[in-house]
Amino acid sequence: MEVTLGQVLALLGAAMAVFLPGIGSAKGVGLVGEAAAGVVTEDPGKFSQTLILQALPGTQGIYGLLTGFVVMQRIGILGGNLLPLSTYQGLLVFAACLPIAIVGLLSAIAQARAAAAGVGIVAKRPEELAKGITYAAMVETYAVLALLASILMLFGLKLA
Amino acid sequence: MAIVKMKKMYVFGLHKERDRILSALQKLGAVEIADLKEENIDVGINNEKLPEQVGHELSELELKLGRLKFAIDFLKPYGRELNPLIHGRPRVSMRKLQDLLNREGEIFELVDSLSGVDQKLSRLKTEESRIKNQIELIKPWERLDVPVEELGSTGKVEVRAVAVPKKNFKPFMDKAVEKDLPVEIMPVGEGREDSLLLMIYHNSAKSDIQELFKEFSVNTEEFSGFSGTPAQIIDQFQERLKVIEAERQEVKAEISGLADRLLDLEALYDYWFLEKQKKENFLKMVGTDKVFLMKAWVPEPSVGAVKEAVTSTTGAVHVVFAEPSEEDDIPVALSNPRLVQPFEIITELYSLPDPRGIDPNVFMAPFYFVFFGMMVSDAGYGLVLSLLTGLALWKLKLKGMGKKLAELLFLGGISTFVWGMIFGSWFGDLIKVKPLWLNPLDNPLAVLFLSFAFGLIQIYTGIILNGYRNIRNGKIADALMDQGLWLVLLTGLVMMAFPNFAGIAKSVALAGAVGLVLTQGRSQKGIIKKFTSGLLSLYNVTGYLSDVLSYSRLLALGLATGVIAMVINTMARMLGVNILGYIAMLLVMIGGHFFNIAVNALGAYVHSSRLQYIEFFGKFYDGGGRSFDPLRIRTKYVDLEDA
Repeated sequence: MEVTLGQVLALLGAAMAVFLPGIGSAKGVGLVGEAAAGVVTEDPGKFSQTLILQALPGTQGIYGLLTGFVVMQRIGILGGNLLPLSTYQGLLVFAACLPIAIVGLLSAIAQARAAAAGVGIVAKRPEELAKGITYAAMVETYAVLALLASILMLFGLKLA
Repeated sequence: MAIVKMKKMYVFGLHKERDRILSALQKLGAVEIADLKEENIDVGINNEKLPEQVGHELSELELKLGRLKFAIDFLKPYGRELNPLIHGRPRVSMRKLQDLLNREGEIFELVDSLSGVDQKLSRLKTEESRIKNQIELIKPWERLDVPVEELGSTGKVEVRAVAVPKKNFKPFMDKAVEKDLPVEIMPVGEGREDSLLLMIYHNSAKSDIQELFKEFSVNTEEFSGFSGTPAQIIDQFQERLKVIEAERQEVKAEISGLADRLLDLEALYDYWFLEKQKKENFLKMVGTDKVFLMKAWVPEPSVGAVKEAVTSTTGAVHVVFAEPSEEDDIPVALSNPRLVQPFEIITELYSLPDPRGIDPNVFMAPFYFVFFGMMVSDAGYGLVLSLLTGLALWKLKLKGMGKKLAELLFLGGISTFVWGMIFGSWFGDLIKVKPLWLNPLDNPLAVLFLSFAFGLIQIYTGIILNGYRNIRNGKIADALMDQGLWLVLLTGLVMMAFPNFAGIAKSVALAGAVGLVLTQGRSQKGIIKKFTSGLLSLYNVTGYLSDVLSYSRLLALGLATGVIAMVINTMARMLGVNILGYIAMLLVMIGGHFFNIAVNALGAYVHSSRLQYIEFFGKFYDGGGRSFDPLRIRTKYVDLEDA
């Protein structure tokens, strides 16, 4: 079977949608984990509270994987029948992947900063955990919006 | 209105009956005592001695509690207590407690003996580690079969045990051979850094040898205070260690025998803990030598019971109830229908309502319920979530926050189940069931519009509540001009989306907009300023727009759950090629779906909370209330009960 440039571009888009937010989330979860470990040295009882905060910047990686999966499904790579995409079709898929790829990467790190600051809240006033979570969730909004944009674009494309 | 109305209560009474009155109130648990010290009430002669005397009593209680706490913590690892999460807390009757109080002296003897035992244990531990250190030091000499007291000078000959740094060993030996001294060197063993030697030499070589020692930094081992060969010494130490261990076991057995007294200690601790909570309130009162004055907050429904409780204690007391005044710092207690109560936790985590504001829980609960389910939106996940939390509520003795959270997730699970049926999602695409409405993957736009519709409904509710708040505060004009006109403008804008209404929509929106331009600058001075700030207020439209768009997360998170579930199912199915594969497939499915439930339940909790906090509460809600915290029977270890 002949490989087309369109197929390469589409797959490149899927790969970017997975690895960029993945990098962001890995970095973010690590960053919050470092802050959380510091608090838990003082008070091991705060493990579960800090764990929630640590989980928050992890969602971008999941959104990225999800988008990548939708691409794989749409271009038929999962079923083993890769569609013969034209270059423009490939570029369309690639463009659809950009929102979550880029916003996912950057928002995960920004969200991790907010969550790490939230760990500071837990250290001093554990009863105010919800406020720390809310600050971090404010950042996540933009990852959710980017995910929505990417997915709507992918579902809207006519590839067959 | 679900904020409970509070009444102010003043009680005049006699100091000698103070304790009994507070005990009655503590038992009732419906009164929060307020601090009168800050109000500078002049009672004529102030009783200066009161705070001092109470402070003294309190510090004595602290001491008692500290000793009991030590004993409880000490005994705890030895006792077998039932898990309070499963079996509830132990119950202690008043009669048993009275009995314990009568035997208090004996119980404190027990506490003292425990601290003696504690000291003994730590002494044993110190000795043990000292001996272990010494064994470490002597161990390398184990093969030296000369009793250590025989080392030293015998007149003509000196016998020495020496340690040579390993790197110096070879040069040292070479030098000794080279000098041809009258010396016999026998290697005995190896230490961590030294080679150990036994040296026997004639007195005449002493000064030469000592020079050698200096040159190669050789140390002589004296073994002062020991006798016998090193191996014997080690044996003796080992014997001693065994004795120590036996003693420790004996002590531990003794403690284990006392472990059933743990409950007595805990009951006593709780009794004195309650006393302390009660006595702390004495400091909030003012009074003369004989009489005290107390101020307290009482929820209106409890007024009768509180009055009864106080007056039945004694006749020499005067109780007055009053409405709270403007300056009063009223505590907030909420009273909501049973079904709404779990949602109170969401508001509590944000901020309790202002005592003079609106309790948002009744209005917020339905939205939270719907949004949570829509974000997870899988019938299978809903069932699992409700079953697990239902089981926890049924089997575990949950209390307070934990209970509310479990109830919230239980209700969220039901909503999730319903949305799952609407969208036809059962563990993703694992079980194919026809959706009641449609599958969001087939027509995401329809669900997106539904999300916006929910958003509009909630934003309208918020604006209307704000209007209601204005009307309640007597600002009817503000309600009409601020909230009313915005509702008109927004309705016009929404109608534009529907072609049937396009004609009227324009005029409605225009009417609203003109109204806003004319009224929003009314607090400004001068006609031009009024007009410009009125015009600028239209810019707030963008705020409402972004609020509505924010509800698109309802679709996005719902899609995320569904697609991740599909990924899990696809990956699992790829494994199903043989028997082992089927087992792996099952494991991947169970693990994957549990992970997905956990991640998405957390996401749904976080994001539906956010929609309430930012988009909804932002419209009307005044937080900053202080929780009503009555004097009540609040114990740490046991439940004290009457009879």
